[in-house]
Amino acid sequence: MEREKSKADSRAACRGEPAQDNRIIELYWQRDEEAIRQTEKRYGRYLLTIACNILSNREDGRETVNDTYLKAWNSMPPHRPSHLSSFLAKITRDLSIDRFRRQNAVRRRATQYALSLSELAECVEDKETPLERLELAALAQAIGEHLRACPAQARDIFICRYYFMDPVREIAGFFGVSESTIKSTLHRTRTSLRAHLEKEGFKL
Amino acid sequence: MKPENISDAIGMLDEDLIAGADAARKGRLPDRSKKRRPFWIAGAAAAVCLCLLVTCLFVPGTSSNATVIAEAVYPQMSPYPNEEEYISPVTGEFDDEGFSQVYDAWRESRRAQLNQPDGYQDGLEAFFSAATANLLSGAEGENLVYSPLNLYMTLAMLAELTEGQSRDQILELLGVENIDALRDKAASLWNANYCDDGSVTSILANSLWLNEDVSFQQSTLDRLASVYYASSYRGQMGSASFDRQLQDWLSQQTGGLLEEQAQDISMTPDTVMALASTIYFRAKWSAEFSESSTTEEVFHSPAGDISCDFMHQSSTRNYYWSEQFSAVSLSLRESGSMWLFLPDEGVDVQSLLTDENVTRLLFDLDSWTDSRFLIVNLAMPKFDVSSKFDVSSDLRLKDSLQAMGITDVFDPSVSDFSPMTRDAEGIYLSQADHAARVAVDEEGVTAAAYTVIATAGAGEPPDEEVDFVLDRPFLFVITGCDGSPLFAGIVSQPVQ
Repeated sequence: MEREKSKADSRAACRGEPAQDNRIIELYWQRDEEAIRQTEKRYGRYLLTIACNILSNREDGRETVNDTYLKAWNSMPPHRPSHLSSFLAKITRDLSIDRFRRQNAVRRRATQYALSLSELAECVEDKETPLERLELAALAQAIGEHLRACPAQARDIFICRYYFMDPVREIAGFFGVSESTIKSTLHRTRTSLRAHLEKEGFKL
Repeated sequence: MKPENISDAIGMLDEDLIAGADAARKGRLPDRSKKRRPFWIAGAAAAVCLCLLVTCLFVPGTSSNATVIAEAVYPQMSPYPNEEEYISPVTGEFDDEGFSQVYDAWRESRRAQLNQPDGYQDGLEAFFSAATANLLSGAEGENLVYSPLNLYMTLAMLAELTEGQSRDQILELLGVENIDALRDKAASLWNANYCDDGSVTSILANSLWLNEDVSFQQSTLDRLASVYYASSYRGQMGSASFDRQLQDWLSQQTGGLLEEQAQDISMTPDTVMALASTIYFRAKWSAEFSESSTTEEVFHSPAGDISCDFMHQSSTRNYYWSEQFSAVSLSLRESGSMWLFLPDEGVDVQSLLTDENVTRLLFDLDSWTDSRFLIVNLAMPKFDVSSKFDVSSDLRLKDSLQAMGITDVFDPSVSDFSPMTRDAEGIYLSQADHAARVAVDEEGVTAAAYTVIATAGAGEPPDEEVDFVLDRPFLFVITGCDGSPLFAGIVSQPVQ
């Protein structure tokens, strides 16, 4: 129930005009704390959904969303994002994953993030070689290239699953298709992604 | 590598990719029934035609109607699947299997076209460098466009039609040792850049228009059809109907973009042969520009400030810089890219034409170190530029070719066109016309962007974000599917 409400709110929040986002960004630039209240009103539940997907814990999710506001406050200025929602979503995603990693060192939990990692394991050999940030940027670029070459729907499904960590059932709902279609589409994209990364010379 | 690395990298994907998926998950997926305009309709469209007229000092004569002597057969490509056709109107279910089948066939045919032997682009770099410096320089304040690949292919065909020193001069300019090597390269370049799959149109069309009173070497015509995909037509030179056929062919091959320019091309009774070559290219931006963020701004043209529509887009991408310019590349969906080179403040765009870093960035991107992956706030004027190199304009292709060492074909006393015909004496290249046009617009539905404040300057950019504002004359290069330069031009006046 809570989840349904949150989704409905997210949709309503994000249907707004870009002009409203520009006003919020302007408030950040003017160092007006109203910026945070407006952000919370407009994107609070949207961000909470992302945090909860990754953390599977509402309290942890709320804290992460609060951290998101703080980080947004510290980033604008100098940033002037062109998509406020994507900008905030990225912060929430990064913070949630950091939090998950810290917690997971102590206790293992089955969250959408943990599940997505087990799926993404299909794309790698799982060797113990950490990547530098620069290599990550190159990897991101290669993944982006591959996704651009994919059919639009397969690309969107992939990003819903591995960026926003949406559960497969919900993605099926977004696109009006069966869960098995989503799973097979994801599987095919992962397989072709792996082939693309190998071709691009990444050591998987 | 660990799955976490993939996940982290996904977290760094370009904003436009995320925004597209985000729209879908928020139930804002664009109504597919409304998406009637196929995605390949606009974005970047470009066309070029090059027409070489070969004349002789004396032609014997009678007349009849135009006939096809040799016909090129283009490769068949699998069509790009239209996703909408795979959604059941009853259940809304996506026919994944059906889609995948057609999609895989499309990918395979695309791969087959691109699968060319190593080194087939060798020599193109030096040619591009020389031709760009020669063709785009000297007309300050004007828009100039030409097609490096089109010129390369036309010269390659001219090499087939000539022998001796006439041919050697061409081979040297194209950077190949002999005619066999040139044939291999030309066939590879043609195929790697051929695409007609419904999503991208990129066709290098060639044709020969032959004087019916002259007998031509059929083996040469057959070779031009098989290696260069050139069809040969024969008719009465100087007749209105034969001119009309050539003009219609040019106009048709260039999607109507060069209709006006094509009308001016005509052949005279003493024309032995006209060699016509075109490229028509149309593709959509990978990340579209939002029409709602297009604003009227000032472009500082050498002729004075002019007001024009600027498209805006902010996203993370590679930003390149050098001593004289900064550059970004915008990818074209399922195709190549458009490179934008902005000279630093105080640097004339003309000096980029001889800047070897421009060529190095285009041809040897892997060795380029001065680049950073960051947020680029791009502002680009919508433009539709064309230029014409012909006898009536100040721009003479003949002069440029001569400056690059192609001289004998223009001189009837030394030219050697024996592979073409042994039927006429004193054959020479009398006219070389080249017309090109490039048009760019938003064709997009997604993001909003903000008003750009500053301009990109010289040297190293800031760590995370940079403005890239094309508000003064700049250089652009459109590369094809295989990275070969299809079009290069200078925009001095975005609106003509």
